[in-house]
Amino acid sequence: MNSAPDERPDPDALLASMQREETQSKAGKLFIFLGMCPGVGKTFAMLQAARQRYKEGVNLLVGLVETHGRAETLALLDGLNVLHRRKMEYRGRILEEFDIDAVLQQRPDLVLVDELAHTNAPGSRHAKRCQDVLELIGAGIDVYTTLNVQHIESQVDIVRQITGVAIQETVPDSILDQAHEIQLIDLGVEKLLERMAEGKVYMGERAEQAVSHFFKEGNLTALRELALRFTAERVDRDLEDIRRSKRVSSPWKTSARLLVGVGPSPYAESLIRWTRRTAGRLNCPWLVVWVEGLRSLNSSQQETLTRALGLARKLGAEIVPAAGDDVASVLLRVARERNVSQIVVGKPESRSRFRKSLADRLIDESGDIDVCVIRPLASGKTPAVSTMVASPAASLVGQYGWVAALVFILTSLGSGLATVAGYMVVALLFLLAVVVAALRMARGPVLVLSALLALSWNFFFIQPSFTFFISKPEDIVMFGLFFVVAISMGHLTSRLRQRERVESRRQRETAALLQFTQQAALATGPANGVPAALRLIEDLFRIEVALVERSPDQSLDQSTRAVGSRQPAGKEWGVINWAFENRHPAGRFTDTLPDSSATWFPVQTSTSIMGVLGVWLPRETSLDFGMRQTLEAFVLQLALVLEKEHIIQAVNRAELLEQSEKLRRTLLDSVSHELKTPLAVIHAALDGLGEDGNPYVSEIRTANQRLQRVVSHLLQMTQIESSVVEPHREWCDVSDIVRSAQESVRESLAGRMIELSVPPDLPAVKVDAMLIAQAIANMLHNAALYTPAGTPVQVSVSLAAGSILTIVVRDHGPGLPSGEEELLFAKFYRSPGSPAGGTGLGLAIVRGFVQAHGGTVSARNRPDGGAEFTLALPVETATV
Amino acid sequence: MTAAPVALIIDDEIQIRRLLRLALESRGYKVHDAAAGQLGLIEAVNVSPDVILLDLGLPDMDGLEVLKRLREWSDVPVLILSVRDHESVKITALENGADDYVTKPFSTGELAARLAAIRRRNVMESQAEATLGHLQIDFSARTVHSRGEEVHLTPTEYALFKILARHAGKVVIQKQLLREVWGPQASGQAQYLRVYINHLRRKLSLTDDSDVKLINEPGIGYRLIS
Repeated sequence: MNSAPDERPDPDALLASMQREETQSKAGKLFIFLGMCPGVGKTFAMLQAARQRYKEGVNLLVGLVETHGRAETLALLDGLNVLHRRKMEYRGRILEEFDIDAVLQQRPDLVLVDELAHTNAPGSRHAKRCQDVLELIGAGIDVYTTLNVQHIESQVDIVRQITGVAIQETVPDSILDQAHEIQLIDLGVEKLLERMAEGKVYMGERAEQAVSHFFKEGNLTALRELALRFTAERVDRDLEDIRRSKRVSSPWKTSARLLVGVGPSPYAESLIRWTRRTAGRLNCPWLVVWVEGLRSLNSSQQETLTRALGLARKLGAEIVPAAGDDVASVLLRVARERNVSQIVVGKPESRSRFRKSLADRLIDESGDIDVCVIRPLASGKTPAVSTMVASPAASLVGQYGWVAALVFILTSLGSGLATVAGYMVVALLFLLAVVVAALRMARGPVLVLSALLALSWNFFFIQPSFTFFISKPEDIVMFGLFFVVAISMGHLTSRLRQRERVESRRQRETAALLQFTQQAALATGPANGVPAALRLIEDLFRIEVALVERSPDQSLDQSTRAVGSRQPAGKEWGVINWAFENRHPAGRFTDTLPDSSATWFPVQTSTSIMGVLGVWLPRETSLDFGMRQTLEAFVLQLALVLEKEHIIQAVNRAELLEQSEKLRRTLLDSVSHELKTPLAVIHAALDGLGEDGNPYVSEIRTANQRLQRVVSHLLQMTQIESSVVEPHREWCDVSDIVRSAQESVRESLAGRMIELSVPPDLPAVKVDAMLIAQAIANMLHNAALYTPAGTPVQVSVSLAAGSILTIVVRDHGPGLPSGEEELLFAKFYRSPGSPAGGTGLGLAIVRGFVQAHGGTVSARNRPDGGAEFTLALPVETATV
Repeated sequence: MTAAPVALIIDDEIQIRRLLRLALESRGYKVHDAAAGQLGLIEAVNVSPDVILLDLGLPDMDGLEVLKRLREWSDVPVLILSVRDHESVKITALENGADDYVTKPFSTGELAARLAAIRRRNVMESQAEATLGHLQIDFSARTVHSRGEEVHLTPTEYALFKILARHAGKVVIQKQLLREVWGPQASGQAQYLRVYINHLRRKLSLTDDSDVKLINEPGIGYRLIS
């Protein structure tokens, strides 16, 4: 009772990190059965392997297997536990899907999920089946799955070159890297064609012609080579890992690092895949650099870029956004900073005679860095190039209008001015106009304005007027200079302005982040800091947000009100919970539950998750890569703020608890002092009187004993109620405890037989001896009170299951009133007809002390008469 | 004839002081008392008592503090008399030099027996031989006889028994037994102790109904009483 309950400042964080380590260590294993094309027998092989494991006693569940009606495959399923598919309706059709929730609920050791590359029906939790599989592995379940080589993301381009078929369903290479084992299922091409002819190969639902095109002998041989090579590369890499781990210095160029520069072009995805394949072969890290230039992207470019960067992220690249208007120098700067050994760029489509292409410039300036120029394939989804000027078109038309008006006004002004000051002054006026216009307008209109003003100057002001003919040579030079100056000034100014715009956006973001951090750090409590911080995010991104914080017990409570300008709708909670549990963004613009109206980001630090932040973007905008990165930076800040708040709260709580604990103890001590001192005086005084046979004295003595018992019961009960009871476990001998209990109630037992049975080989156990002795004493006292004088009481001690200490007290009295077995342990409960002199607390105290040990106590009537009380305590035992 | 033993009572409750005085004087003690810690310490210097009865809840300072200051210069036997009955309080007091511990309410008979035991401690520590019920102990020859017959004890058993016998009647805390028998590193391993205590009980017939008992005070230690 003396030691304070163990309150650490934030056990949450500790617990969370321990839990995470635990989950990492027990992540499931992924086994992939890889084939070159449908029909080689992947599913068959998978089922055979699974049957073997089943025989070994593994708890196996067939999550989903496509048998395509083949009898021999069906036969292998016989006797296995097959999961029902989840039926869902989509646009009037009933679709059957793999039921991931059912698997997570059943928690088998191993689950079979066919066709890893499958795309789930809309409305499923994940867009792709491979995400389901990743979640299963994360939950510690082993997975067997099948995959054809053409579905591997990095091989898609090659497959397209071989077969001419663009594969839509792909699996990122990163999932293959996570595989514990990849088993290649190989079949000779002739054999396969034979099987096809026999109709043993499922062709899918595609048009017959496309299929027959795909299954040509040449294609199949190439695909087979691809599958074999892919597996061989992987084996090679494994081997290399082994060698590397055994040797200190390796003959491999371990410092290799690839960098690929991408922009909003349709070739970006192909470049990224190529780099990933090469990096995979070299087993080296790779960077994807996106140079944010001066030109702002239109929405389709934005989309292309976001898709490309999303692919890079999926394939495991490190994405480095960089800013600058000269792509080549930016790429080289990043390459030098990051120690890159090889830069990958696309081959220019057409070579210009006058301007050096990016590739040329890189080759010229790269120094010791290798430059790899490859011919990329345009991705299947070609963005409409014609929409280059989509949204600002309206304002552009306006600007051209302004240009026309300006030319007209300036020419009229100039004609007035020319008569007074000469036509040279007019040229200066026009130049001024160009500079001013460049500050306001886009580059196109400025250039047009420059050109028009130059012509106007020539036509109206240079002699001879009203012709484009120039007679004086110096005027020709002037005109040429004017033209050049106007155009380059317009160009420079507009570039300056764009750079300024990019800078100011960055500055605004940085300032907001800074303000956010300051505000949060200075806020007096979460009630002030967090809403202000959220408002800042809303204003900066022009979005709506909602923050759902976790409750102190690490869980999300659906009834908690979200902080922010919007409340999540009921159906959003599925997404929220998923994002919280899997610590991964989910919802709109992600691959998980994309149908939801908001994007949900987990608000987490490296150690713990504090909640989930929902973000609602205006309907027509999309979450582009840059915005997502900035948003994630804010979310991290938010997580740090919340974590700080939680830690402060935990510390305050601990301090408060300690204070009240101290107060309670002091109070208890002083109350017990006040109550026990007079009792001690009476007791001692009675002792002083001695046994003189005076009946009054013996009555006082009895009453005093009763009073002592009541006081100590009340005090003990108060301790239990205020949870001051904290077992102080020490190694003890159970028979010593029982003996000491017996000693303390010697007077009430008065001459009864106590039959103690303790196994001689009972080891020492770790319990709070005093509490257990008190519990046994109370039970013995009860036995004495409720059974006829002289009847024996049995106490037997045993150790069940090696770690449950049971102490049974049996009496030979009338037994318990039936139906009251539970009530007996309630506070102040006294069964009807009890003899006077009890407090009704004895058994409640027994239960309190036993529960403090994490044990249980129960009572029953024995079939052969008498009552039986059983204490069961989980204990640590000594082996000596 | 030896002079009457002097007892000093340090307790803030006047009734307790009066009663203890009555009880002790009737058993031949010369009694002094003090109502507070400071006064108690001064009295201890002035009257050089043979035994001190100390309450833990004193108005001016904690009883433990009184004990610690007393132990700085004196090894007079001290009996703690307190309403605090938790084992950790008892252990703390015993570790800080108290000789025994009695919780209120107490029986005066028991109190007198404990006082006698802790006063005997000094005598037992200097004796070469002692008799406890049916046991004769020869500390110089390191032998123990039970009802006239020599009992063979292993060195560890003897070391353990010697400490208990030297402190006969008084509780010896587990930590002290472990430290003195097995050395300073063993203080956490109470399960050794329990095994040897059982050996002693069997070899020396220290059963519950014999004239010498080796009893356990749960969570605190062992006491050899005759």
